[in-house]
Amino acid sequence: MSSAKQSAIWDLQVRQLVLPKLDHEPSECEDVIAVNTENSRFAVADGATEAFDARNWAERLASRWVESESALTVEDFREWVAREGRELHDSWNGLSLSWYSEEKARTGSFAAFVGVELDLMTNAPVWKAIALGDACMVHCRNGALVKSFPLSRSDSFNAAPVLVASDASMHENAMKSLVIESGECESGDTLFLLSDAVASWFLERLEKNDLAANDFLQTQDDDRLKQFFDDERVSGRMRNDDLAVLRVEIQHRRMS
Amino acid sequence: MYSAQITRANPTCIILLIDQSGSMADPFSGDSSRKKADFVAEVVNHTLHDLVIRCTKTEEVRNYYHVSVIGYGRTVGTCFSGPLRARNLVPISEVADFPLQVKSSYKRVSDGAGGWVEIPVRYPVWIHPAADGKTPMCEALARTKEIVEQWLMAHPRGFPPTVLHLTDGESSDGDPYEIGQQLMSLGTDDGAVLLFNCHISARRAAKVEYPTGENSLPDGFARSLFQISSRLPTNFLAAAAQLGVNAVEGSRGFVFNGDPSSIVQFYEIGTSLTGMTPYRWMDDESTRSELT
Repeated sequence: MSSAKQSAIWDLQVRQLVLPKLDHEPSECEDVIAVNTENSRFAVADGATEAFDARNWAERLASRWVESESALTVEDFREWVAREGRELHDSWNGLSLSWYSEEKARTGSFAAFVGVELDLMTNAPVWKAIALGDACMVHCRNGALVKSFPLSRSDSFNAAPVLVASDASMHENAMKSLVIESGECESGDTLFLLSDAVASWFLERLEKNDLAANDFLQTQDDDRLKQFFDDERVSGRMRNDDLAVLRVEIQHRRMS
Repeated sequence: MYSAQITRANPTCIILLIDQSGSMADPFSGDSSRKKADFVAEVVNHTLHDLVIRCTKTEEVRNYYHVSVIGYGRTVGTCFSGPLRARNLVPISEVADFPLQVKSSYKRVSDGAGGWVEIPVRYPVWIHPAADGKTPMCEALARTKEIVEQWLMAHPRGFPPTVLHLTDGESSDGDPYEIGQQLMSLGTDDGAVLLFNCHISARRAAKVEYPTGENSLPDGFARSLFQISSRLPTNFLAAAAQLGVNAVEGSRGFVFNGDPSSIVQFYEIGTSLTGMTPYRWMDDESTRSELT
């Protein structure tokens, strides 16, 4: 857990956890979290398992987005993704690939992405977020759901979401699914950025008024939290997938 | 059932069972230039290509599938040759590494700005067309059952084996009903073996695709094949819907008097497994230009 003091008024408590699929190595995990406490930008990207170089694409999207000062409008995001995609494809030049890797590389890489920027310089903090795919931002207050997007229900997740493609020729259609939202926070609110399996699981808990899920994510140490998510995946309550959980709690700073 | 996640620890098994009898050398009706055997070999090679690509993780092919291609005609046995010869079941990574040849072509695709560009593509070849002898369907299903039984001993859990059987005629060694039922009675903790049958015809006869009952079937042979065709699980129905195929709850994985497009869809649906998006290679056919 880390603490970021972004303004004279607000504190952020940030917690993050990334786990690979059960029986997989951490190096095989394609979920990525990026945090930039300087500009209060946070992102989760989930590389598509079937895509070429998915981990690098997810890593690039998340880490470069939180360092960016833009890419929070449709036009900016599209331009920014096209640039990042070109750089990714350039990095493959000169590789000696087998026929199947060559075929795979031709379609480029894909990842789900969600990023949020907080404005803490006001009496009521404002978040603005952008998402494409099935990685979600979930805004909670007192353990209850305020807003979840781009998907809002646990049964909305399917196997073939529209994703962020590294190949710009696919952007014409894909960017139609880009979602941009904003909202206001109160002291004690939490924002979660979650990859798809854990997002679906979390929304199902909230739909069942299981407020303990939120508390659990807040109070348990990393080892117990890892064991908890492993148990959920073994039991089938959560799909066996990589998972990324980024929890940002916004607190009014205590005046000394 | 039919919901187990396919992983390297819990792979699944896919068997492509192909009629290679003498009649497969005949053309489809209305297309005298194209032999059935040539077309089927092409579709099988594309299907293997698709399975490899699905399992490709950057520069590694993960063994989510163990694959078999069994042909029957003058003999019954594996269609693999070269380094894979005599192998009944081959992990997909080895299939990837040992095609007989890799052809190079160009494909025309959208450039995203209203125009078209030609990109190089690879077409690996694992099997060549064959058409000779009778139609020993029962022997072929018995061989398939042996392969499946052996595989299940090592893999009792996970997504069950899928057998995609393609034929152009009646069995020459008896009614396949009994051996087909025996094959379908095998399975894993996630469900029984899936046996799907596609019958193709050189005649201009009305085709029947993915029926729920026997009423529309013309004869006893068709009814036998229907009875040894598994119901399409939910995920396969979803794949059929994506391809615009009319399959509903209770539909069997069965085609009778199919045409070339039926064959392509049969393999696309039959390899969709746990809800994977069907691989639509046929769309590109018209824009392909063979170079080598």
